[in-house]
Amino acid sequence: MTAPHDAPAPRPPAEAGEAPPPRPARDAPVRRLHPLTFVVGAAREMTALVGAGATGLLVGGLSTAFYFALIGLAFGLAWHVGTWATFTYHVHEDRFQTRRSLVGRTVKSVPRERIRGVDISSTLGHRLLGLAIVHVDAGADGGEIVLNAVAQREAERLRKVLLARARVAEAPLQVKRRRELAHIRPRWFLYAPLSGAYLLTPFALAGSLLGTLYNLGDDLGLITRDRVESLGRDAAGLPTGVVVLIMMLFLGAMPVASVIAFTLFNWDFTVYERDGSIVAERGLVTRRSVALERRRVRGVELSDNPFERVAGVVRLGALVTGLGDAAHRGRLLPAAPRSVAVALASRVLGPVPAPLIPHPRAARGRRLVRATAPPLGAAVVCAFAGHLATTTAALFAALMAVPLGLDRYRQLGHADDGVRLTVRSGSLRRRQYVVEHDAIVGWRVRRTLFQRRAGLATLHAAVGAGEGGCAAVDMSESDALAMAWTITPDWIAPFLAPPRPDKTREHPS
Amino acid sequence: MRLREPANRVSPRAIAHWAIEYLLFWGLGFGLAWGVAAWLGHRPRDGVPRWVTAHVGWLPVVVGIVGVLSVTVAPVWRYRVHRWEVSADVVYTRTGWFTRDWLLVPVSRIQNVHTEQGWLERLLGLARLRVHTASHTGSSEVSGLPVAVANRLAEDLAHRAHDLSDDAT
Repeated sequence: MTAPHDAPAPRPPAEAGEAPPPRPARDAPVRRLHPLTFVVGAAREMTALVGAGATGLLVGGLSTAFYFALIGLAFGLAWHVGTWATFTYHVHEDRFQTRRSLVGRTVKSVPRERIRGVDISSTLGHRLLGLAIVHVDAGADGGEIVLNAVAQREAERLRKVLLARARVAEAPLQVKRRRELAHIRPRWFLYAPLSGAYLLTPFALAGSLLGTLYNLGDDLGLITRDRVESLGRDAAGLPTGVVVLIMMLFLGAMPVASVIAFTLFNWDFTVYERDGSIVAERGLVTRRSVALERRRVRGVELSDNPFERVAGVVRLGALVTGLGDAAHRGRLLPAAPRSVAVALASRVLGPVPAPLIPHPRAARGRRLVRATAPPLGAAVVCAFAGHLATTTAALFAALMAVPLGLDRYRQLGHADDGVRLTVRSGSLRRRQYVVEHDAIVGWRVRRTLFQRRAGLATLHAAVGAGEGGCAAVDMSESDALAMAWTITPDWIAPFLAPPRPDKTREHPS
Repeated sequence: MRLREPANRVSPRAIAHWAIEYLLFWGLGFGLAWGVAAWLGHRPRDGVPRWVTAHVGWLPVVVGIVGVLSVTVAPVWRYRVHRWEVSADVVYTRTGWFTRDWLLVPVSRIQNVHTEQGWLERLLGLARLRVHTASHTGSSEVSGLPVAVANRLAEDLAHRAHDLSDDAT
């Protein structure tokens, strides 16, 4: 934990005063959230209300609006204190239960064996007070339980208790083995501009800032039609040089801002192993810590784009059964050198099967056709409509699609080492999945009319983790079946057709 | 190495079911296309490029031809493709027409099974069987089964899956 314990963080007392529900002897006591919770909860509303109150004071003196703001503030505080006082959580022998009884009564309980992950995060406010938010993940559709603000030590304790249920018998909980698996290096922050998402952050920030300003100005009556029009005239009247300069500045700021955004999200990114879980911690302002139960990690995903490929950088994610929001929470490494990512993958899951076997030649034609067909179709429509400029543009796009199609073919590949299966596809966003054989819950062989003509098939391995499976695109039909057959012979063998006598090479092995 | 086709066909009434479904869909599409064409007509309009108004008369024709082809060809084609088989421990299905899916789901990985009937299927005495696993990709659906068969299968599969399954992931 890097967060400072600025404020005293006493254990939440298991208070008397409310009747505790009948419970088995070995259960932990009923607990409340941290007493400072309402401070964090109310802080956001308070800033908004104080802002509104101050504005009211400025604009209209001690008006009714100001008193309303004060009353709102008082109600907000009372509501937060009430929520805190009526919310309890309880770790039973067999289930984890929360109870909220402010107005209605809500009791949520999750069987402890269904708990798949415990995710600890904290915003800046939480960290100043030594608090943390605990998300308890219970399966894909079981929903999750959020404990908004408990002491950081309590959060750690809860995580250990909730994730430990399988090992209670074997190992005492006090044994704390923490083994670091990977740690971010400062140099990696420079990889941020390579990924599109971080490059676009400045636009998103500027957009939301402008939107907020506009709304605020609009609420205060500062924005009138005249002002907007004169602003538009001023902007249109700017000399070209200034406009170009502003755009250059913005473009120049993009990589810098992307590095800053990347740093904010991934500061001190650490992956370590503890008590049978893989824990990934990251973030500068909002610190996130995600614990993934090791036996639920059924595979990994390596993804990159062409720029990252040139730089030898790749992102690593875990495929975890029953993890909601897997794209963010399954993250094991942000943009990192390939060798580091592969090393971490092999420590988390096991060695990545290599080398990849390329797919048949027929697949190349299919990738080319699929890349060029949409722009060519658009070109035909435009030509039919008699638009010369758009036709040329579409034809140019079709031309550009040729190298893309070729690269998409080059990236296709699969491999299998008897324990894990790996498939790779895509170009602008290339993804390589590595999946344990045991994790496969079914096979889907998909063939379009064109694939049937070309003797190709796409083999989907269904996995109850990540996006539901991975696809080996455009393998030859018999290779696809042979691969499925070597992995799960019992499922395939009863349904194989007798080999055609004239085509001996179709037989595997 | 090839897969043989699954042993059982679906009910022939499924052809009628699919045909009526396609007819409703394409009928609606044709109506909309005809309406758009009649509204835009051959007169130039503000905000609509001239080449659109000049050629919009073709829209209902194209939609009509595609629709007629779908209604007449696709149901028979689907009927010839759709097959299913439940062996000792695997559910094997083949579905689709233009794009075909061969799906192999072991009974031990099934999470739940249920049958469904839309209003059209109730009229025709058909039902669809849905077999869910932990993965969407690995979840199969057989439509056009006779009701009795679908219910018997669902019951049988649910029972066997319950006996075999641990966590099914």
